[in-house]
Amino acid sequence: MGIVMPRQLIGFAAAVRLGWAVSSNWTRPILFVTYAVLRPISVALILAVMYSVITHNAAAARPYLAFLIIGTAFWSFIQEGVSEFATGILEDRGRYHILKYTYMAPLGFPLFLVGRATSKLASAAASVVIVLVVGTFALQLSISPLRIDYPLLIAACVLAFISVIAFAITLSMVLLAGKDTHGYGEIMAQFLYLFSGAIFPIAVLPGPIAWLAALSPLPYWLELCRRSILHGQVYQMFPSLSDGEVLLRLVIATAGTVVLGYVIYRWTDRRARGLGYIDMEANW
Amino acid sequence: MTTALENVDLRVGQGELFGVLGPNGAGKTTLIKILVTLLLPTSGEALVDGLDVVRDYKHLRSRISMVSGGEQAGYGILKVREQLWMFSQFYGMNSKAARRRIDELLERLGLAEAANKQITGLSSGMRQKMNLIRGLMTDPRVLFLDEPTVALDVGAARDVRSEVQRWMREDPTRTVILTTHYMQEADELCDRVAIVNRGRIVAEGAPRALKESVDEDVIVDLQLDPGTPLLDLLRAIEGVGAASVREEDGVDRFSLLLADDAILPRVMTTVESAGRRVSGLVRRQPTLEDAFVKLVGRSMTEEEA
Repeated sequence: MGIVMPRQLIGFAAAVRLGWAVSSNWTRPILFVTYAVLRPISVALILAVMYSVITHNAAAARPYLAFLIIGTAFWSFIQEGVSEFATGILEDRGRYHILKYTYMAPLGFPLFLVGRATSKLASAAASVVIVLVVGTFALQLSISPLRIDYPLLIAACVLAFISVIAFAITLSMVLLAGKDTHGYGEIMAQFLYLFSGAIFPIAVLPGPIAWLAALSPLPYWLELCRRSILHGQVYQMFPSLSDGEVLLRLVIATAGTVVLGYVIYRWTDRRARGLGYIDMEANW
Repeated sequence: MTTALENVDLRVGQGELFGVLGPNGAGKTTLIKILVTLLLPTSGEALVDGLDVVRDYKHLRSRISMVSGGEQAGYGILKVREQLWMFSQFYGMNSKAARRRIDELLERLGLAEAANKQITGLSSGMRQKMNLIRGLMTDPRVLFLDEPTVALDVGAARDVRSEVQRWMREDPTRTVILTTHYMQEADELCDRVAIVNRGRIVAEGAPRALKESVDEDVIVDLQLDPGTPLLDLLRAIEGVGAASVREEDGVDRFSLLLADDAILPRVMTTVESAGRRVSGLVRRQPTLEDAFVKLVGRSMTEEEA
């Protein structure tokens, strides 16, 4: 007897397959894998070298190097997630002229977008591991798989995943309801970079921006990733907060992101349909 | 702001092949976009298969499908069969059943040999047939076809039309709403049509009934060599109900709706006075185009211009 899969799951699996076909089609599989591995390593190493040059490789700077590498490793997840969702909209609209058909499909457009971006999210997750391995061996970060606080790391990553998906869907719908939105995905990803605490603590940002960054779930997520992997051997963004308090802030910020995302999603969906933008022709 | 549709009131019965006929820009596609949940109406109510297109759009989407003509839609990197299968999955079809159905439809539409071709390599006719399969394979209760044969060669257009007819015959509960600006297509396919012009429905009924509305008129096609403009002069003749002209192969082809035969000599006098030479004159049966001209006062081509 075969396994009966719910209709949504069937459609989601096909969207994942589609995303993989679209994102990996530009070259042979071996070159694609090489690119997917080398890219995050290069980014991490460039940052590490820059940092070492600036700090003259001082021992006191080691906790901040760890801060930088872990932030960069996990950042790729946001970068890939946010930009791939946006690319999905722009490609399906301008390149493949098929957006209206995927939008109309009973699978549901948000689920389609998540499926289409999943292969990129998976490769981003793989790049997290790759960068951490490189950090451990090439940069002598004291990361040990046996000392990682997995429950904390998983809890933080699940919440971050929800936040990133909510944010990416919201951004996608904003793009859906707008014209000439090329490049907005990358711009938003870079904008989030500033707010996330990936390469510097949010406290160094000017007052109002630091306050805004503190509303985002990303700094709390990255803080928990750093703490769960390196415990006390990493620079802390929120030294006065316990792990539980940071987690609580992450929960609240995630809930806020989801609620705000849902409101914006509903509004932009209606706007896109009201203005007839779903089947709008766009250049690619 | 231009109003795309105004006071549109339509009822399409289950099992009908209903045509929405009108010139480009008449509002046909806007109507379809509202019915398939792609566009929100600014006012009024639209139900498809008993479901409100604004409130119940999520449930409605599994019951409908749409195929538009004249577009290059499709993931170019995928092969024909892959692309169709992908969409069957977005509609939650069982994978095996979907593959069977896709192969059956590919065979029927003469695309079996192209099943493993990337869709970028398809001709526009083949691509449109693939799009039609996408629309049919999920077995929608209501299928929307928006100008499905536009820009197709005669053979491909015929294949598309006959597949739509066959699909309707397979299950009498299936409903098709078709937009077209090809009068002959509407006449051949549709049980009933609504003629739309400038966002309003100007007539509705079976093609035969609409043609009968011009049955009492004498319809004359007049071929004239090029010369001075004549349309307004002909329209001004008392007893000329409507007149339209189109240029084809260097010849002006006038269609005239005359109240009776006695008007024809007056027409010929006007033509001769204008110095135009008649190269052909035919009295013929009415078409939907004539019904349109009588209702609107101008031909579809003039409306499009």
